[in-house]
Amino acid sequence: MRFSSFTYLVGQGLHNLRANKMMTFASMGVLTVCMVLVGAAFMFGANVSAMVDYIGEQNQTVAFMDKGLSEEDFSAADAAIRSIPHVAAVEYISEDEMLAQYSEKLSGYTNLQEMFQNDNPLHANYVVRADDAANIGSIAAALEQVPGVIRVNSVTDVSDLFVSLRRAVNYICYGLVAVLALVSVVVISNTIKITVFNRRKEIGIMKLVGATNSFIRFPFFVEGVTSGLVSAAVASGVVCGAYYALCRWYAQNPSSLSMLLGGTLVPLENLWYYIVIGFALFGFVLCGIGTATSIRKHLKV
Amino acid sequence: MIDFEHVTKIYETQNDENVALEDVNIHIDEGEFVFILGHSGAGKSTFLKLIQMEEKPTEGRILLNGQDLTRIKRRKVPYLRRQMGVVFQDFRLIPTMTVYENVAFAMRVTNINNKTIKNRVPYALSLVGLEDKMDRLPEELSGGEQQRVAVARALAHGPKMIIADEPTGNIDPELSMDIMQLFEAINKVHITVVVVTHEHELVNQLAPKNNNRVITLEHGHVASDTAHPEVAQEYEEWLAGRTEDLAYTEE
Repeated sequence: MRFSSFTYLVGQGLHNLRANKMMTFASMGVLTVCMVLVGAAFMFGANVSAMVDYIGEQNQTVAFMDKGLSEEDFSAADAAIRSIPHVAAVEYISEDEMLAQYSEKLSGYTNLQEMFQNDNPLHANYVVRADDAANIGSIAAALEQVPGVIRVNSVTDVSDLFVSLRRAVNYICYGLVAVLALVSVVVISNTIKITVFNRRKEIGIMKLVGATNSFIRFPFFVEGVTSGLVSAAVASGVVCGAYYALCRWYAQNPSSLSMLLGGTLVPLENLWYYIVIGFALFGFVLCGIGTATSIRKHLKV
Repeated sequence: MIDFEHVTKIYETQNDENVALEDVNIHIDEGEFVFILGHSGAGKSTFLKLIQMEEKPTEGRILLNGQDLTRIKRRKVPYLRRQMGVVFQDFRLIPTMTVYENVAFAMRVTNINNKTIKNRVPYALSLVGLEDKMDRLPEELSGGEQQRVAVARALAHGPKMIIADEPTGNIDPELSMDIMQLFEAINKVHITVVVVTHEHELVNQLAPKNNNRVITLEHGHVASDTAHPEVAQEYEEWLAGRTEDLAYTEE
């Protein structure tokens, strides 16, 4: 294709957008709404994931060891704990170290070190960190099975709640994206169908004077893709702007719950490019599909 | 240029079949001026549709500049259509485009560059005497003027052949002669002109004067051809045989 033909066809596509103002406006509106909803779902999902990760990082499952374990029993237990699946980090704190820690905390009051020098009541323990909050429960259960472990402290209740919340949010997001993608394809393909129908005579004439199919299709493609990209730009602006405002409000109005969950939302800097690139792709691909499916019928002359 | 070799076209409907053309042989040379004359139902429209590749023949083959249209790939059809310019009976101008754009658009379709378009559109419009109405919309023009725009559009991309479908059908009778003179002028520069019409009077008036070839279609057959007088004899024989057949079936 000549460059002059290319610019002409692009011009035609943009001209069509202007000529069908109402249709363009309606379809871009629906597309933008679809994208904003997808974007909101994505932002929500990203934050829930971040909170679950935060809880996962904060999690410490503590396994207290029996006193008076033999050397062999002890090293067997040590190996068993370290080989539990999904364990990210293990820290061993011996009885003496425990005592040292406590006596330091209470150094202004009494001298614990001296009091319990020969009769340490504290238990040695393992502080175990899970790689993901979802695995805290299984790790705690596994720790209880290790011989020599007498008690396990973990925060399974809170972590379970967030893990299931994250899963639910993910499913909802996937479903939402699928439904909205379908809606967008239908909207775009309907819009193009109407423009094609309005111009079917013109298309017939073009075919009879020797236009190739791609020559006829191209302006419609430009039309569809442009409305997709414009909607993507508007939706990106809306989602990012609203999110930025939300982040500021969240940081300025701390609550006990927000402090528990890390205190801040995922910053916009880490998310905006997903939104912008995702929307642009969403608009481009879906509008391309919508256009391709809607004009085929009218090209058979 | 155009060769119809034993072309038969049968339209099949649900419970009937309609023979539009039967064993038609026509050869048109480059630079000829030919009238295709026939009543409605004689096969004129089918003839046009076959040339424009809107339909394929049921039997036989059609050659355009030696290329067999029956064996051409769909993809190639647009390029073959560019070898001819068609003036449609209803003009088929695009109502939202100005006269200039209507002509320019047909050239853009054929991938001609902007500079050539800018030069050639005013030239084509001046040939049909409409250079001062370039910026008008088709609806602002009279029927005769619209038709001349259609002629300019058909000529603009420099085809070797112009096909006119009932060029006098939609304009005032006084203008019929003007448009036919225009076609004569086009033919003078060695462009093949094929005029398809049902107006016997017009053809009888013009053809002898300019020594144009006249091919008459009847009942889907070539009934006469001024370039091949023997065809009329063959047709008479076929017609006689057919009447006998009909009489026989009635008995």
